Amino acid sequence: MRRLLAASLLTTMLAAPTVWAKDELVIGITQFPATFNPSIESMLAKTYVLAFAQRPVTAYDASWRLSCLLCETLPTLENGLAKVEGKGIAVTYTLKADAKWGDGQPVTSDDVVFSWTVGRHPQSGVASAELFRRIASIDVKDARTFTLHIDKLTFDYNAINDLRLLPAHLERSRFQPAPAEYRNRTAYDQDTTNPGLYNGPYRIAQVVQGSHVALEPNAHWGGTKPAFKRIVIKAIENTASLEANLLSGGVDMIAGELGLPLDQSLALEKRHGARFAVITKPSLTYEHLDLNLGSAVLGDIRTRRALLLALDRESMTRQLFDGRQPVAHSMVPPPDWVHADDITRYPHDPAKAAALLDEAGWKPGAGGIRVNAGGDKLALELVTTVGNRSRELVAQVLQAQWRKLGIDLRIKTEPPRVLFGETVTKRKFSHMAMFAWYSAPENVPHSSLHSDAIPKADNSWSGQNYTGYANPAMDRLIGSIETELDRPRRKALWRELQALYAEELPALPLYFRADAFVLPKGLKGLEPTGHQDPSPYWVESWRWE
Amino acid sequence: MRAGAVILILLVLAALLAPLILPEPDTLDLAARFAPPSPDHPLGTDELGRDLASRLLHGGRISLAVALTTALLAAVIGTIVGLLAGYHGGLADTALMRLTDGVMALPLLPLLIVLAAADPAKLGIPPDAMTSEGFAVGRLVVIIACVGWTTVARLVRASTLSVRARDYVRAAVAVGASPSRIMLRHILPNIASPIVVATTLSVGNIILIESALSFLGLGIRPPLASWGNMLTGAMDVVWSAPTLAIWPGAAIFLTVIAFNLLGDGLQKSLTSTSRRSDAR
Amino acid sequence: MGVILSRLLQSLAVLLAMSFAVYGLMGLMPGDPIDLMIAGDPHLTAADAARLKALYGLDRPWTERWARWLGQLLQGELGYSRLHARPVIEAMGPAVLNTATLMAASLTLALAIALPLGIAASLRPGSLLDGAVNLLAFASVSLPVFWLGLMLIVVFAVELAWLPAGGMTEVTGDGGGRLAHLVLPVSALALAGIGQYARHMRAAMINEAGHDYIRTAKAKGCSPRRVVLRHQLRNALIPITTIVALEVGGLFSGALITETVFAWPGMGRLIYDAVMGNDFNLALSGLLLATAMTLVGSILADLAYWRLDPRVRRMP
Repeated sequence: MRRLLAASLLTTMLAAPTVWAKDELVIGITQFPATFNPSIESMLAKTYVLAFAQRPVTAYDASWRLSCLLCETLPTLENGLAKVEGKGIAVTYTLKADAKWGDGQPVTSDDVVFSWTVGRHPQSGVASAELFRRIASIDVKDARTFTLHIDKLTFDYNAINDLRLLPAHLERSRFQPAPAEYRNRTAYDQDTTNPGLYNGPYRIAQVVQGSHVALEPNAHWGGTKPAFKRIVIKAIENTASLEANLLSGGVDMIAGELGLPLDQSLALEKRHGARFAVITKPSLTYEHLDLNLGSAVLGDIRTRRALLLALDRESMTRQLFDGRQPVAHSMVPPPDWVHADDITRYPHDPAKAAALLDEAGWKPGAGGIRVNAGGDKLALELVTTVGNRSRELVAQVLQAQWRKLGIDLRIKTEPPRVLFGETVTKRKFSHMAMFAWYSAPENVPHSSLHSDAIPKADNSWSGQNYTGYANPAMDRLIGSIETELDRPRRKALWRELQALYAEELPALPLYFRADAFVLPKGLKGLEPTGHQDPSPYWVESWRWE
Repeated sequence: MRAGAVILILLVLAALLAPLILPEPDTLDLAARFAPPSPDHPLGTDELGRDLASRLLHGGRISLAVALTTALLAAVIGTIVGLLAGYHGGLADTALMRLTDGVMALPLLPLLIVLAAADPAKLGIPPDAMTSEGFAVGRLVVIIACVGWTTVARLVRASTLSVRARDYVRAAVAVGASPSRIMLRHILPNIASPIVVATTLSVGNIILIESALSFLGLGIRPPLASWGNMLTGAMDVVWSAPTLAIWPGAAIFLTVIAFNLLGDGLQKSLTSTSRRSDAR
Repeated sequence: MGVILSRLLQSLAVLLAMSFAVYGLMGLMPGDPIDLMIAGDPHLTAADAARLKALYGLDRPWTERWARWLGQLLQGELGYSRLHARPVIEAMGPAVLNTATLMAASLTLALAIALPLGIAASLRPGSLLDGAVNLLAFASVSLPVFWLGLMLIVVFAVELAWLPAGGMTEVTGDGGGRLAHLVLPVSALALAGIGQYARHMRAAMINEAGHDYIRTAKAKGCSPRRVVLRHQLRNALIPITTIVALEVGGLFSGALITETVFAWPGMGRLIYDAVMGNDFNLALSGLLLATAMTLVGSILADLAYWRLDPRVRRMP
């Protein structure tokens, strides 16, 4: 035992200096990517790791504006690269001249066509085929220029963030003979360290299954040279262990995209503020309570408003989250350019809440719980995800705050696969479901608020309008926003939508989540995006100072 | 053994008296999160400003209730299987014992995970019944008991085999008493002591299993407090508020060790009375 | 040998029954990863989900899928892992190796500490040493493993900074430090095992001491040391072998919590993720392997029993 200990002491001492070497960076995340093909099955860990090694054609940047990553100029109607044709639109992109795969082959229009072919093939195993279906055809102008013919005209016609390129010169021979077998034969999983699979500043150089992925600079990367000779992404699922690894120097930083819960990061900042910087940025991840509007209690707008007025969300986010997660008033977060300030708000007002409940027929009853004329208790059930500590804490605070107004709340937690796979998707929750929407900037809430997106047995439970909200005015607004190309006019429509939402409260807004990035002091240039495009898309600007 | 019994009596007393001395376990005070110990909160407060001592004792009620019920249920299943196998012998014995061996060979933790994640609705249990807290606890009890009965079954079978050969049992058979009567009246009382010992020893183990399942998010879930989920919840804040992890950890440790000491003591005293002649 | 054959057949029956039960139970799990994908991606339609389910064969009844899986297995095909998009063998290989390392090291350490303690305690029952060993043994089986693991990390990795907190090797530099990374997870697992082995060892020794042959040997004037080592220990090791053999399968899949705390990518983690992700092929193969190890372990234990103990010439 003693010898073992001595030997290990020696190895750690020998290993210790490399930990702080400036040209290496070890990043801790909480999940290991099971697969690496960018098109098949999305998984947050995979998106994160590939963001160092793969660039989409377009992405939203840290100021939430659409930008070109692999293209020369963003096509717009104004610059003539996009042209309305009938009901749809033709959009022309030119790939950057210096965009190359890691084996020196240029990224070409052929890769675009191949990726689209894979994406729309019904047996390829690509999960989200929506974008590929929207693209009716592709005209190749030359090796770098191509035109997408999109069959529907929407304001975000030039955002093709979901089009992830596959290297046709490596993947075509694996796809074409047997498309149904492609997901098991892709070089991304069979030959992960092949440099030719990556077109970003880094390539995957080593994969230790379940443990870590090492990235090394892509020799043929034409953009700004990244600062690190090697980046290692280490998966540590348990957040307490992840923090221990950070404190012991096993990892240098913790990614916000897949990192520690906010309250844990804040506690860490308090104790180790000298060693680590904790950056938080309110994101567009919208934490809220979806209400089952079909239930008798919540069908009454007075009850819904009373529920929100009874909550002191300001003090909750101040005390639990140090005020880093702003209170939400609708689903559009403040940094989004279409965010509207002048909509109905529901500040903490117990008196008004009580009056509304009285009006709705819920009178104080025995044991402090309100009852209606029929003798029913005002008892609600809230279901949320198990294992999400922040939500578990917030649910218990809601329970306590509502209890003061005579509302009884029962909390039920379910694993994500049950909650999202069954309970909310089949609208099986009796009153409330607490979860978050996570999306891109200026994301039109068609699937969550349009009446055609209410999941029902006869549409095989598709759509995400779990509340069952149906309002022709809302449907109209959503339709108009989607096709309104004029920005000022669109902003006005967005204001109307948010005002209507706040008036009707199909869901109770809670707050916008802030992801916490824990960085070593001296690491600069990392900017959280606050949306679904991860920060490593801009890894070239990360550096030590 | 005495130490074990004393610890357990104190724990049970504390858990029963908790509501009389300590504040409500569910009263939140967000302004007083992670408060240090004070006269109002003898152990301080947790991440939502709730009284830690009170939650610890209320969590103890749940943890102890789960462990004791599970141990009893497992003992009942194991006794039935063991009695039937030992009394009837032959084909019944072979079948039941192979079943026991099979269950013993199954990897416990993955099996518990599969069981805990299975959907009771698909087994025809009405959804209304599933929302209650009692159901969540009951489900855990049933799941652990389903894989935990094997030790008792083996012990009971072995004891039944030896008791069955005794004269008074033969006499009962000769006067035509029914098998169930013989098993319950004549055999069971004589094999009670190994059952009691094995059951006592299993209680501690069940508390540990509950905490492991809580760690995986499959045990008893908040807001209902159990030692397992309190400990799991405290893991994330172990750096800033170590006491939150230390107290439930200590409670689990003490209780489990107490049950083990008690079981061990029972075993010694029961076997030494029955086998005094063998003693060195 | 006929007895061994029948034991093997019984084991196969257990494996078959288990695979059926596990398949059914996994089929009973609510929701599934593809429904989860619908919730995570607003653009995914019900048609997409149906297409994916058909692609993965998840739209067929589970009994049919189980039968097909069994047919494949009989032809020596473990199939593809749905989660990892590669053959099950390939997905499982590294995890089996990692777990085997962890298991072998922790079992060796636990036995190396527990057996001498148990023997020492058995030589003077009722002594202070015996009491101390007893208490230590109880303490070791009474701690929640994840708590113990985290405390080890807090003390040895963070406060003292002697050992790495998690992972298998250094991820920077030349990727060395395997040994250092083993210390904490092995210690956590070993600490949890010491208690029961020490207690069993002590009990077995005391049990042997009561036998006539030991008394005879002592009466004949053999040195106490020789009696203990040659006769008593040799026979007392028999039940210990059985216990260890039975333990192996459990350790193989049951180190999930230790693996999670120490970020050790082993079988426990793999099986857990496979179960949660409805990766039937992978979950079934992992569970079967673990069960098979227990069954083989118990057969080996019986064989060892039979070999080591001349008094037992009857297979149980």
